[in-house]
Parts: sequence; C-alpha cells; structure tokens
Amino acid sequence: MSRAFLLPLLLLVPLLPAAAQSDSATAAPAPLPAALALAAAEPAPAEPAAVAPTGLTAQPWYRPHHLLLQTAAGQGLITAGVGYTTLRGRVDLDVLAGYVPSKYSITPMGIFTAKAGYSPWTLHLGQSRWQVRPFTVGALVSHTASRGLNDSRDGKYEPGYYWWSSRTRVGGFVGGKVSRVIGHNRYGHPRTLGAYYELGTNDLYLSSIFTNLGALGVHEILTLGFGVKYDL
Amino acid sequence: MPQLFSAFHSFLRRRRGLLPGVALLLSSLLAGCDLIEFSPNETRTPEAYHDLTRKSLERLQQQPKPLGGDTVRFVFIGDSQRFYEEAEAFTQSVNQLPGVSFVAIAGDISDFGLIREMRWVHDRLKHLNVPYLTVIGNHDLVANGREAYQQVYGPLNYSFEYGSTRFVFVDTNGREYGFNGRVPNVPWVQQALANPGPGIRRQVVMSHVPPHDADFDPQLVAPYVQALSSAPRVAFELNGHKHDFSVGQPYENGLTFINSYSFEKRQYLVLTLWGEKEFKLDTVQY
Repeated sequence: MSRAFLLPLLLLVPLLPAAAQSDSATAAPAPLPAALALAAAEPAPAEPAAVAPTGLTAQPWYRPHHLLLQTAAGQGLITAGVGYTTLRGRVDLDVLAGYVPSKYSITPMGIFTAKAGYSPWTLHLGQSRWQVRPFTVGALVSHTASRGLNDSRDGKYEPGYYWWSSRTRVGGFVGGKVSRVIGHNRYGHPRTLGAYYELGTNDLYLSSIFTNLGALGVHEILTLGFGVKYDL
Repeated sequence: MPQLFSAFHSFLRRRRGLLPGVALLLSSLLAGCDLIEFSPNETRTPEAYHDLTRKSLERLQQQPKPLGGDTVRFVFIGDSQRFYEEAEAFTQSVNQLPGVSFVAIAGDISDFGLIREMRWVHDRLKHLNVPYLTVIGNHDLVANGREAYQQVYGPLNYSFEYGSTRFVFVDTNGREYGFNGRVPNVPWVQQALANPGPGIRRQVVMSHVPPHDADFDPQLVAPYVQALSSAPRVAFELNGHKHDFSVGQPYENGLTFINSYSFEKRQYLVLTLWGEKEFKLDTVQY
C-alpha cells in the first residue's frame, strides 16, 4: 500500500540513459528503488540554453526579474515597482509603491500594491522583435498610507460598524502587453521592454454593483491604468 | 496568424508617427473619463461633478416658485448610500410631483466615502426636474470622503434662503471626528440662525445625525439643542442616519425633529410649510 504511490515513477524509467538501463538489467531482478537511485545519481542536465523560457534559470531570489513604471489603475498617480516572472513566463508577481499628491487627497497618499498576473499566451510577431501578450488576468491587494485618511476601523465605532477597511483594497484586473526584445540579459535570455494596460476594479466597487445589478453599469466600476515593464 | 502579425508590424514600421499619435489621442480622450483613477480615495472630480451645492442653489433661485404666498414644498429623504436602483426610481417618482421646489437629502450620499460613489449618485439625481441639496453624513466622512464631498458638493456647513424660509445645513457627525468637541460647530449654528430678516417666516435646520443619537458628540448635545431652541422661528430639524421615518419632540423645549426614510425604504416625505411653524407631511411610495 505504501509503495503504491511510487508506481507512477515507473514512467521515469524510459527517461534513464541507456547505460543505466543495461545496469539495472544485469542486476535483475532490479528492484524499483535501485533504478530510482541510479536516476538520482545521474549528473544534472547541462546549464539551460539561451532559448530556455524566461524565469526558468535559477537566479538569486533577491534579484528581481523586471522593473515597472505605471500610472492610475487605482495604484497611484506615479507608481514604480519590481517583480518576478515564473511558470515559464506566464505568471508575473509584482510589488509596487505609488504616490498621489495632496492636490488629489487630504494629505499625500502612498499606495503599496502586491499583484499577480497570469498571461497564458505570448505571441511573437512574425520574425520581428515584437511580442504580444494579448490577455492577462490578475488579482491585487493594496494598502494606502496617508496621514489625513479617516480610518474606518480605529475604534470610533463598535467593531463591525464599517465592515470594510478604508486603507486596504482587494482588486482584480484583465490586461495586455506589447513588448520588444532589446538585447539579452546576463543569463542570455531575451530582454524586453513592454507597455501594458490594466482594466480592473476593486472590492468596494464590486460590492456596489452586486447590490445594484442592472442599475449600476459595469463600465461605471472599471478603472484603467498603463505602465511599462523592463526586464533586468 | 503570423502573416497577419508581420503585416501589422510592417504597417507600423511604415508609419513611425502612428503609435505616439494614437497614444496621445487615447490619453487625451481618457483624461476626462472616469476610467483613469489614481486611487479610489482620490478627490479629483470633473467640472460636471464639482461644486454641485452652489450650482443647485443658483438653479433654485432662478426657477419660478411653484406655490404662492409663503408656502414652500420640498421632498425630504436621506441615506442614498449604495441604493442606485432606488435612486433611479426615486428620481422618476419625484419628477411627477407638482409644486415641489427642491429635494433635501439628509446625508450619507455615499457608503464608503468614495468620490466615485458621489458621482454615481449624481448621475441618477441629475435627472431630477428640480435641484437637490445635501448635507454631509458620517459615511461621507470615511477615508478621504470629507475632501471628496467638499469637491463634489461643497461646504459642510451652509445656509440659504428660499421661499420665506432660511435653511441651515450643518455637519453633526461628531463621532467621525473622534468627539473632538468642535462638530457640530455650535457658534456657527448660532450665527447662521441669528437675526432672520423680515421676509423670513421660519427657519429649518437639517443635519445627518440627530442630537438624540449616540453618534452625536455628547458634550455638544445641550449647547446644540439650546442654540436651536433659543433661535427665532425654528420650525423643526430634519435628520437622517436612522434610515426610517419618525417625528417627535424628544426635548422639553418642544423642538420638533423629523427623521427621513432612507432610499432603500422606497418611500419619501413631501413637506409643505406655511405660516411660522405650520407644516404638512405626506408620504409617497415609489
């Protein structure tokens, strides 16, 4: 019973080099764990070629994969960030810091956002250096720091009077990106500079539309933002 | 598909000025539109949603008074917060009423204190045939709401005269200010109610939180009620916050307090005033 879960590992056997297979044949009947031990002893594959998809190379965790500069989408008038790309270039994880001046607020706002975007397709435009990510879907959470912002949960009322936080927002978005390869990074991966857009909304707008289906239009709760993303 | 992309690409290459041109056009189109938002808490608003109290008062003074003599009639409701469907139905209902001069909304225009909510409410109430006037509610003060309300509507305390009546609208949401002893601004209320001219038959006060509510600054209840009862010819105070209709005299001084239905109740009051303190209350369902 406890070994049953090992059975799918048999599928790995054809992947072993021919020498390893003949070794296990001479030691017949070779128990499965021996074959696995051989597989583990095999040298690691050569370092990834330059064609490996972005994000697969082991990089120090502290070295972000890209820089971002953005405006609007509820994340600041001017917003800068860094991020990581993973899952064969399909997922971007970004952290951003945005700024809204006191002209548009009681006191200046700092907006700190973490977001994750999933882009299933990257299309290459013919033989050119242009790439298009036609569709991205993502989620974000943000925190707004501002001295003058009136807290909804600071004990002025009994707990639960205001069910939402006036500082923390959760949101979702769809988007797209057009980028151009501009050389290669230190790992030999293509380096791109791209422009993206985000069409999104947040928890409070969603809560407004869900209680007013048909009366509040989807176009009324949308926000739009633009940015550029530069591979490091 | 690749052929399509390369054709698109060669098209772009042949017109190098096209991309920046399109970007410029798009950004100028979007600048005036709701989509571009730096923060849900921003206080930026287009001119069409700015300074609405002043614009409504100008409209009110320009329109002919529908009822003769010293009689004045207006619609009274409160707490439009997140009731957009009801706001549309309310607008249609009020537009069928005769003799109404304006609509008074007793605060909580928004639910989350967001400027976009105030624009959503105005997008519905701007279809009223008469102007509407608001006073700030506690929900309008959450987050950057105070500044958002000031941008979209205007002052938190203001007064105006219409139809032989002086109306005094005042911010009484003391709990939002941590009961700091300054909201409501009692000296301002005293001054606003002082010395009504000979043409003023009565005075009406409107605020969101009534003084007999736990969200009114306790240290200011007595001075505020005193200010109202000692002022000349105060007919009654109008309030919201409780989301339901009531009328009563909770203090010994005989001052009348009328609380509004909220938008969700799908009912509103029509108030008709004449003489010094005579009034008639009608309830309309919509």
